[in-house]
Amino acid sequence: MRRRLLLIVSSVLLLAACESYDCTLYNYVGCYGTFYQDDAMVSLNDTLTITAGQSGPVLLNKAVGTSKLNVPLSYWQEEDTLVLTVKGEYNLVQDTIWITKSNQVHYESPDCPTTLFHTIQGVRSTHEFIDSINIIRSSVNYEKTDNMQIHLFSATD
Amino acid sequence: MKRPTICRFICSLLLISLTCFTLQAQDEKKKEDKAPLFCGVAVSADIVGFAMKAVDAKFANMEVGARVNLYDKFFPVAELGIGDSHREGAETGNTFSTTSPYMRFGMDYNFNKKHNGNRLFGVFRYGFSSFKYDIANETFADPIYGTTSPLEINGEKATGHWLEFGVGVETKLWKFIRLGWSARYKFRLSLKSPDGGEPYFIPGYGKNDTNGWGGTVNIIFDVGKGSFNFKKKDKS
Repeated sequence: MRRRLLLIVSSVLLLAACESYDCTLYNYVGCYGTFYQDDAMVSLNDTLTITAGQSGPVLLNKAVGTSKLNVPLSYWQEEDTLVLTVKGEYNLVQDTIWITKSNQVHYESPDCPTTLFHTIQGVRSTHEFIDSINIIRSSVNYEKTDNMQIHLFSATD
Repeated sequence: MKRPTICRFICSLLLISLTCFTLQAQDEKKKEDKAPLFCGVAVSADIVGFAMKAVDAKFANMEVGARVNLYDKFFPVAELGIGDSHREGAETGNTFSTTSPYMRFGMDYNFNKKHNGNRLFGVFRYGFSSFKYDIANETFADPIYGTTSPLEINGEKATGHWLEFGVGVETKLWKFIRLGWSARYKFRLSLKSPDGGEPYFIPGYGKNDTNGWGGTVNIIFDVGKGSFNFKKKDKS
């Protein structure tokens, strides 16, 4: 009888001692966009480099055949500056995108990494090769769907 | 013709008397077994919560309770406590802290038909807590942009509602002092919290999840007829 009782108590204590961490597995927060030209999705033939400002960290380095972009936004800045440099064999064009946003802390638990979600409030850019930018989803969170449509100037321009 | 009639009459009387005597005996037995409507009141304290607080566990629910004993079978219960959690993530540096009150209401049902001082309960509770919590991280850094900015969010408000079902046992230690154990399955009915993040811990419920297990070890001070074996007392 005592052994049984001891077994039950031990089992309960072992069960109570177990703890699982239910952190989100895919916890990358990024701003997604797709390049369009003449209302059709397009891939850039030249290399694309994206930096945060002129001297900030490199967010995308010399990607080739890019049709979609995916960049992390800053945690605390109210406006992020993305410099897009498209470099071909004979040409180099550069555009700057300014993304105005609000930042929201996303906390799961003490054991899971805290991150920030964002709400895009506005986007503007220079117009070297970017014609216009449409915001199609303002929430920047764990979802991997497009936030922006980046329309490039027509090939005939 | 007369003799059989008299004999039948006498037999009938004997049968009726025997039946009445049997019924009376049964009634007396029932009277002995049946507990009165009001059998007393009891106050209790869950010693697990206080022990968890003493050993600096991740969280602790320190509570006291009061209940009424009806027929030694139904025990309407109210429990009032303070949920306390101060937790720091091992690798993240995130901290969560709250110290807030909670309440539970419900009923215990005693399955033990014998009034021998031991009880086997079915446990049902509804609980709720309206609480505030703080989140902080002193070394919170943006991994891409490289900026470090301490994170400190204080006074986030949340409200949780939940139900508990379980079983419990209770035994007499000495006179009016009892010791009770209960194991409870809990499931969350609702939780209202800010968009920024749900709380790690709900006072009275435990670690925030859709369901979970909990338990209590209670010291109970049982005052009233229910604390004694009233069957024997009635006989005397």
